[in-house]
Amino acid sequence: MSGHDAKYFTTTKKGEIHELKEELNSQYKDKKKDAVKKVIAAMTVGKDVSMLFTDVVNCMQTDNLELKKLVYLYLINYAKSHPDLAILAVNTFVKDSQDPNPLIRALAVRTMGCIRVDKITEYLCDPLQRCLKDDDPYVRKTAAVCVAKLHDINAELVEDRGFLEALKDMISDSNPMVVANAVASLAEIQEGSSKLVFEITNHTLFKLLAALNECTEWGQVFILDALSKYKSKDGRDAENIVDRVTPRLQHANCAVVLSAVKVILQQMELITSTDVVRNLSKKLAPPLVTLLSAEPEIQYVALRNINLIVQRRPGILAHEIKVFFCKYNDPIYVKMEKLEIMIKLASDRNIDQVLLEFKEYATEVDVDFVRKAVRAIGRCAIKLERAAERCINVLLDLIKIKVNYVVQEAIVVIKDIFRRYPNMYESIIATLCESLDTLDEPEAKASMIWIIGEYAERIDNADELLESFLETFPEEPAQVQLQLLTAAVKLFLKKPTEGPQQMIQVVLNNATQETDNPDLRDRAYVYWRLLSTDPEAAKDVVLAEKPTICDDSNMLDSSLLDELLANIATLASVYHKPPDAFVSRARPTPQQDEDEEYNEGQDMGPSESSAPVPEVAATPATTQVPVAPAAPVPRTAAAQVPPTQPVADLLGDLMGLETALVPVGPATSAAPAQPSLPVLLPATSGQGLQISGQLIRRDGHVFYSLKFDNLSQTVLDGFMIQFNKNTFGLAAAGPLQVAVVQPAGSVSTLLPMVLFQNVSPGPPNSVLQVAVKNNQQPVWYFVDKIPLQVLFMEDGHMERGVFLETWKSLPDSHEVAKDLPNATITNVDVSLEKLATTNLFFIARRQLKDTNQEVLYLSGKVPPNIPFLVELTFVVGHPSVKCAVKTPTPEMAPLFFEAIESLLN
Amino acid sequence: MISQFFVLSLRGDNIVFRDYRGDVPKGSAEIFFRKVKFWKGEEGEEAPPIFNVDGVNYMHVKQAGLLFVATTRVNLSPALVLELLQRIARVTKDYLGVLNEDSLRKNFVLVYELLDEMIDFGYPQTTSTEALKSFVFNEPVVVDAARMPSLGPAALFIQGSHRLPGTAVTKSVVANEPGGKKREEVFVDIIEKISVTFNSSGYILTSEIDGTIQMKSYLSGNPEIKVGLNDDISIGHAGSGSYEYGAGGGVGMVLLDDCNFHESVRLDDFELDRTLTLIPPDGEFPIMNYRMTQEFKPPFKVYPVIEEAGPFKAEVVLKVRADFPTTITANMVILRVPLPKTTTRVSFDLETGAVGQTTDFKEANKVLEWCCRKIVGGSEHTLRAKLTLSQERTVNIKKEAGPISMTFTIPMYNASRLQVKFLQLVKKSKSYNPHRWVRYVTLSNSYVIRT
Repeated sequence: MSGHDAKYFTTTKKGEIHELKEELNSQYKDKKKDAVKKVIAAMTVGKDVSMLFTDVVNCMQTDNLELKKLVYLYLINYAKSHPDLAILAVNTFVKDSQDPNPLIRALAVRTMGCIRVDKITEYLCDPLQRCLKDDDPYVRKTAAVCVAKLHDINAELVEDRGFLEALKDMISDSNPMVVANAVASLAEIQEGSSKLVFEITNHTLFKLLAALNECTEWGQVFILDALSKYKSKDGRDAENIVDRVTPRLQHANCAVVLSAVKVILQQMELITSTDVVRNLSKKLAPPLVTLLSAEPEIQYVALRNINLIVQRRPGILAHEIKVFFCKYNDPIYVKMEKLEIMIKLASDRNIDQVLLEFKEYATEVDVDFVRKAVRAIGRCAIKLERAAERCINVLLDLIKIKVNYVVQEAIVVIKDIFRRYPNMYESIIATLCESLDTLDEPEAKASMIWIIGEYAERIDNADELLESFLETFPEEPAQVQLQLLTAAVKLFLKKPTEGPQQMIQVVLNNATQETDNPDLRDRAYVYWRLLSTDPEAAKDVVLAEKPTICDDSNMLDSSLLDELLANIATLASVYHKPPDAFVSRARPTPQQDEDEEYNEGQDMGPSESSAPVPEVAATPATTQVPVAPAAPVPRTAAAQVPPTQPVADLLGDLMGLETALVPVGPATSAAPAQPSLPVLLPATSGQGLQISGQLIRRDGHVFYSLKFDNLSQTVLDGFMIQFNKNTFGLAAAGPLQVAVVQPAGSVSTLLPMVLFQNVSPGPPNSVLQVAVKNNQQPVWYFVDKIPLQVLFMEDGHMERGVFLETWKSLPDSHEVAKDLPNATITNVDVSLEKLATTNLFFIARRQLKDTNQEVLYLSGKVPPNIPFLVELTFVVGHPSVKCAVKTPTPEMAPLFFEAIESLLN
Repeated sequence: MISQFFVLSLRGDNIVFRDYRGDVPKGSAEIFFRKVKFWKGEEGEEAPPIFNVDGVNYMHVKQAGLLFVATTRVNLSPALVLELLQRIARVTKDYLGVLNEDSLRKNFVLVYELLDEMIDFGYPQTTSTEALKSFVFNEPVVVDAARMPSLGPAALFIQGSHRLPGTAVTKSVVANEPGGKKREEVFVDIIEKISVTFNSSGYILTSEIDGTIQMKSYLSGNPEIKVGLNDDISIGHAGSGSYEYGAGGGVGMVLLDDCNFHESVRLDDFELDRTLTLIPPDGEFPIMNYRMTQEFKPPFKVYPVIEEAGPFKAEVVLKVRADFPTTITANMVILRVPLPKTTTRVSFDLETGAVGQTTDFKEANKVLEWCCRKIVGGSEHTLRAKLTLSQERTVNIKKEAGPISMTFTIPMYNASRLQVKFLQLVKKSKSYNPHRWVRYVTLSNSYVIRT
């Protein structure tokens, strides 16, 4: 029998459930099977057929494997929502696990492990124990995976019942498939455990290498990935492993090849003989290149990995640049990656060939690709000094085609070339100026303006050119405004004639009074102050010689590169991010914008690092103006100058600007007089400096409310603060706004904080390590606590329906409960109000039947977007509240309990 | 390991969905589809095969007009997942005969049964069609292939020029023939995808052959088979240093840069006489993949002339020459020429007596398309196209037109000269003599003529 399965989808009439029920209880096997198929069909399209649970489970006792499998499929799906009913199936499971047919034994163990119901888990142990020692390898390999399943549900049980030892024994199993699954299970258990569970010893190494040759392709990947964690004793050991792994490079499965490459690269680090290393490099090239003949999806993975490999060992593929030439039918994501690698492999030897390719790409249809190709030419110019002129000629050729976005992209890279080779190629400026009025992209405009400002003395009509941009100054994007400001200042300093003087007035006015952009305003003030106090100093600062930029096409930071190379053939090597930046199993991660992620790989161009924007920051900090040396904080540059300093008066006589400074200043005085902040650093240990503080939440932002008491005899100034990596990546959003603390004086401040800057890996905790320094004393370190309640988000409220849905959708293992002995609710309304102010929102309230216990349901949310569903059980007025939370990240529950306890204390 | 596996149609319908770990929210399929459809917020942008949304990693491949997707939260091997997705597609095709939305829906019980054996707790297990036969009991409902769009080689080959087409066999490995008796046969296909880039003077800039020897066996009892290749094959690229198999080859040799083999292949005699020994598992699988950058004679030469013919006029002349034996015929030869953006009208002039040739000007993206249904070896064909432009040109027209790309299929031809000399059953018996088919086909991959 095998009818059209599709017909099962078509019954939609009323009474369907009733009909199914009857069919399920039919005495004819075929009818039964048909009925179960119909039920499964309904289930897969999302219909609720859970009311048929008992009827379906009744079909379980059958010899027909096909039917049994269907019933098991149903069970896995619904056991979760009907744990009590699932118990009914346990007996059959246990019986099946002893069936004479190995397929049924394996099926029983496999399915039981998928039913994540605590009560069933207990019954799973005995069958599992038996199956781990089964005679049939099919049963054993299924049992090996089942240990990992059990560990995921109840790790303690796995240890208590000695399943880990059993798994380790399986590494010596005679069947390679069993070995592979045991290795996979052990690796996963190790991943989620802080203890040493799985270590490759000499003995296991031998076993694994032996199994490697015989097991399935997937098993080979598991074993190779396990081997990649093995630290060889010496070069000899490493060579031995490499010898055994090298044949895997000939495998048709790309995953096997990449994992083998990873093992070999790792062992190569230990091999000292240069001959061996050279020989290995030669062997690695052909398989790597062959990966590019695979499907485009795999090519993408291969290219992202090759990108990393050539950064460490450029020799491997130095002669293979041709294989990275783009094919016209490559998907765009492949083309982009190939370009990146072409730049990395470009050398004086092959640059002519490469340039021809780039030039061809620059006339293709896909705009993003064209832009990247143009940029690539510029990057090659910066990388290869001897080829720079040829690159520029290609760029000029492209500009002549007058395709708008090509011209703009070319101007952006030419600006970088000028930075790299000052006073070499400025003769082309005239050609660039011809395209001036076609520019409409901020980056291109900003670059062109930078060029005009930088070379104002060589461009006769520089003032006219700049003026043409000035009319639209208020509408321009910030990037362009900042460049215009700087260019106007440069022009004025270079040609202090009437025209530029007027222009500078207009620009400074615009930039200080007509704008809401603090960066622009602050930079304008800095220039203004400079110009009005000491024009010569202004020249030193603004026209200072800029450090030449260099090629950064190999720009991954070497420690990051190390980490990524250790993670070749994993997702980390595709994202070019360390695993803890995106693996969210153990703890929450910042929400990622994957667009950004994709771009990241492409935009390593020098344009970013050498963008003309941080002009102020790029100048050597040798001037008397306290310009913040760290680039991205010009926001506070003006505020750092205390408004009481005499410089401000000088400004005043230029324009009467005192009022303008007011909105910037109050940040320091705005700190509220918080009555009693907890003391973090007592005066006795701080040589007279006492620091008290607390994290608070205000208007949806986190602040560090800090108070500095100076009980010493000296004036303390130059305060700076820094935070160590912590679970939530809390860090200061700007510098500490504390200028001077007089003896016996005190200063309070509110330091704005940001999240997910420096996230520490590992299980979540509330520790916040802080360092504070000033000019007079040693660095002080102290430890504070992050109260979770300051992270609760304002939009944490959930509709009832959503709450229920979410509660149901989260597995039970994500529910954690604790008694909070120090919490009391004496008045429900008052407590609710209090919780609401900290962004814990009321959902529902009910009285427990036959008791005086009440239950409250609340919802909350912590960044990036982790919901907490809360259930509080208590007796009004009595101490001790039972708190249960359900959340995707149960590891955070202890922090949550602390927060609740302190809120209800 | 993977948390979920699902198959979506290109409209976003959920056809198959399986959750293995319960650590990824149920709405993932929808999140995925929206992300892929509007990559970078725009429709039509092609999403990379791997990306991360809210801590969930999505990996996908496109197969047979369907999206095969896996999700995970851990840092696993993406190549493993992509290979697995492709394998699932292939095994399902082996079982169902054809792979499409219809056949998946009609066989959902079988598909779920297969999935349960192929993946346990997110770990790939048995994915060989042969081995799966002992665990899988449902029988396929074979979708009538006749109702499908034509599966003739040409039709298959022109749609996805980059994808390796399946062999043109659309019967299930498990389903019985209507007569009840299985036909004993084995197919060996040598499929070569060639990429060539010519510069504007007609010289070859790059050329490459990606070849696969693909087997599909319907032999009962799984007899051992020997596949003999020409013995003048040499492996290792002289240019990039020697490879472990001997040094570079002499004149006239077939010089492969690299090759790899299916796990069932034994290479005992490969060094000696270039034979591969294997017990072919059921289903379709590549015996050997190879790559070659040794110079070869490109099957087509194109001589384009692009000229200005007045202020608002231009002329494109394309001449194609088929450089292969007259006994061979290429199918569905299509040339595409991007024209200047200012082109408003194109009038075509085919040679007199031209048969089976069509021309088209794709207004939307300004591409000229010339399709020749058949081109016989040794022949030459010419197309003249007169363009009308809306603006006077500012730059050389050659910079605005081209490059020309070409797609084609040439059955019974291979550019590498790699050959299957024999296909032998190791244990011969007079009564058992199954049909053995060896077929060659050459496909264009990226065949580009710059202007």
